[in-house]
Amino acid sequence: MKKALAVFLVLLLTLSMASAIPAAFAEEKITLTFFHRWPNEPKGPYMNEVITKFEAANPNIDVVLIDPVLNDSYKEKIRVLVGSSEIPDVFMSWSGSFGQNLVQSGRVLPLDEMIAADPEWASRIVESQWGPFNYDGKQYGAPWSMDGKVFFYNKTVFDKLGLSEPNTWDEFIAVLDALVAAGYEAPLSEGFSAEWAVSHYMGTMVQRMVDPEVVKKDYALEGDFSDLGYIDVLNCFKQLSQYMNADPCSVDHTYARNAFIDQDGMLIYMQLAEIKYLADGAEFDYSFFDMPALPDGKGDPNELTGAPEGMMISAECKHPEAAMEFVKFFINEENGGLMTKMTGELSCVKGAVNEETVSSPKQLEAVELILKATNTTLWQDNALDATVASAFMKGGQLLLIGDMTPEQVMQSVQAATKEAKNK
Amino acid sequence: MIGNTVTRAAPTKHPLGRKIVPYLYVMPLVLLMATFVYIPMVQNFYFLFHKFSAFSKEQTYVGWENVQLLFNDPVVWTALKNNILYCIISVIFQVFLSLICASLLEDRLFRRIATHLRTMFFLPVLISMTVVAMLFTQIYSPKGLFNGLINLLGGKSKVGWLGRSESAIFCTIAMSQWHSMGYTMMLFIVAIQKIPEDLYEAAEIDGASRIQRFFTITLAQVREMIFVTMVTTVSGAFLVFNDVYILTKGGPGNSSVTLAVYMYNMAFTQDRMGYASTIAILMLLICLTLAVVQKKGLRSGEVD
Repeated sequence: MKKALAVFLVLLLTLSMASAIPAAFAEEKITLTFFHRWPNEPKGPYMNEVITKFEAANPNIDVVLIDPVLNDSYKEKIRVLVGSSEIPDVFMSWSGSFGQNLVQSGRVLPLDEMIAADPEWASRIVESQWGPFNYDGKQYGAPWSMDGKVFFYNKTVFDKLGLSEPNTWDEFIAVLDALVAAGYEAPLSEGFSAEWAVSHYMGTMVQRMVDPEVVKKDYALEGDFSDLGYIDVLNCFKQLSQYMNADPCSVDHTYARNAFIDQDGMLIYMQLAEIKYLADGAEFDYSFFDMPALPDGKGDPNELTGAPEGMMISAECKHPEAAMEFVKFFINEENGGLMTKMTGELSCVKGAVNEETVSSPKQLEAVELILKATNTTLWQDNALDATVASAFMKGGQLLLIGDMTPEQVMQSVQAATKEAKNK
Repeated sequence: MIGNTVTRAAPTKHPLGRKIVPYLYVMPLVLLMATFVYIPMVQNFYFLFHKFSAFSKEQTYVGWENVQLLFNDPVVWTALKNNILYCIISVIFQVFLSLICASLLEDRLFRRIATHLRTMFFLPVLISMTVVAMLFTQIYSPKGLFNGLINLLGGKSKVGWLGRSESAIFCTIAMSQWHSMGYTMMLFIVAIQKIPEDLYEAAEIDGASRIQRFFTITLAQVREMIFVTMVTTVSGAFLVFNDVYILTKGGPGNSSVTLAVYMYNMAFTQDRMGYASTIAILMLLICLTLAVVQKKGLRSGEVD
């Protein structure tokens, strides 16, 4: 009995080996590891669909997906992975200092040669979106989605009250006052429990208010954030908080967006990539305007906050050509259009956002707004060193709940800057 | 030694072999512990004197700079205060209240419904912390269950409990108690069930009241279990991470941050590995000291 079992096992083993050998000698199978940040709907299924399509079109390439994690966790995990031997072959990254940090590790592949080899593909991407992935004259990332942060408002109610889009800060406050007077107690719907939402306000307002030269120096950690403009920014932010829902730090952005859709709030500072949520949920007419100029602001009021997100390839990748094919497959008209259709993200590929792929004509307006903007302001938490950005975000939260004054927030930012320089 | 010679039919020929064998048995565990616990711990002391990021190839020696930074960092003190609050409240709920609840459940009075109550109290333990935290995010939100309850009682609350620095940490601690009390209660129930029934009978014949029986018999007999729950609760309170990280991320600002969350932020969002190691060592020292103090204080391991 024992013998029979042994013979059977040996046979089984031999057979399984025999079946494995031809596969190994057949066409070499390339494996690409890929890491993105959307385990959830709607982008998770979109990514899976494109990956499946890619594998079908390239049967010799096998894409292995590293379990995706959400935004804040992704920031942490990708930093660790890039520093480790487990660096994924292809991964998503934000532009600005976030991408720069990854690039500084020396483990991200410059794409210039491969881009130059296929000028036809490169020319189909919106030109202004390449820059934020260009570090020291080299292109380290291919832009994938473009975005902008604007105030969305309930146009139905605005029209009813005879309000129009404000161009200046005073007009903005007047609009908010008019809404309050009309019985909308907390017209501005906001959720700051996740810190990045604070940094979006801070980033735009700093750009509008403070001298661009000073900002450039301070963000590069060559200055010390002592410009009084920053205090004015925080005062303006505090002024806005009077019009927000109570305890905005207790709820997150999704909660605030749902409150806007439920018409609990009349305005919300939101990304253009989120239009799809409104198209799916809002039962009123809505529109958007860029952050108005701040009083005595020294920055260009026609800049738009919102940097592209893109794809990077590891310098350790054994098959960079295959990886580049994968990137190009994601960033083409067909799959870019599919992205806009399925997820509402605005694709960087020219013509991908069109009447057939949009879920709302507002998305076409959004693309127009992005192309019209004089310049792109990077997200503050991507543009700044993490320690300084954290001081801004946490300070902003404490300013809102009255635990800190604008001066104290800036003191903590200055202290953080010292620590960041010393890193 | 006598036992050895009696049970062993054929003693090993080489006396050296006999000496080595026991060590071979413990070797796998020692190796595992060394690789994953002791060596990293020692390495951590090395990191204490350096600064580096996850990317950097080399580490810069900075002497005692990280330690100086630690003592001058107001956030560390906030974190420590929150951990101490966590510790005090957890000990009250998870050790003392749990023990009282356990002895009530074991009392004849509740015998009929005890099984149901036990299951009810134990259920939260089985739910993953992530789910619990999601649940409590809803409960504490401005339109959540907690405000609903207050308003039902005649209040008019629209407070976002997690969005205020005064309340955020207490909300987190409260959630943890809800989640963990059932576990320690179960430990105490097991310990109480092991107490010989005749002790209680004798005390009852002597005319001892329920409260007297609790203090003289139950409390004395479950002393070892009190030590165990105390050590796990206290060290748990100083190491707490999940609860805070998922519910508030330490916010608003740093008002509900704990040492573990702060360490994590320093290491993985701000990329200051040396400083994070310094915080880790502070946590290690606190936990070690407290464990030793408790061992002495409760005279654990001594037989009466």
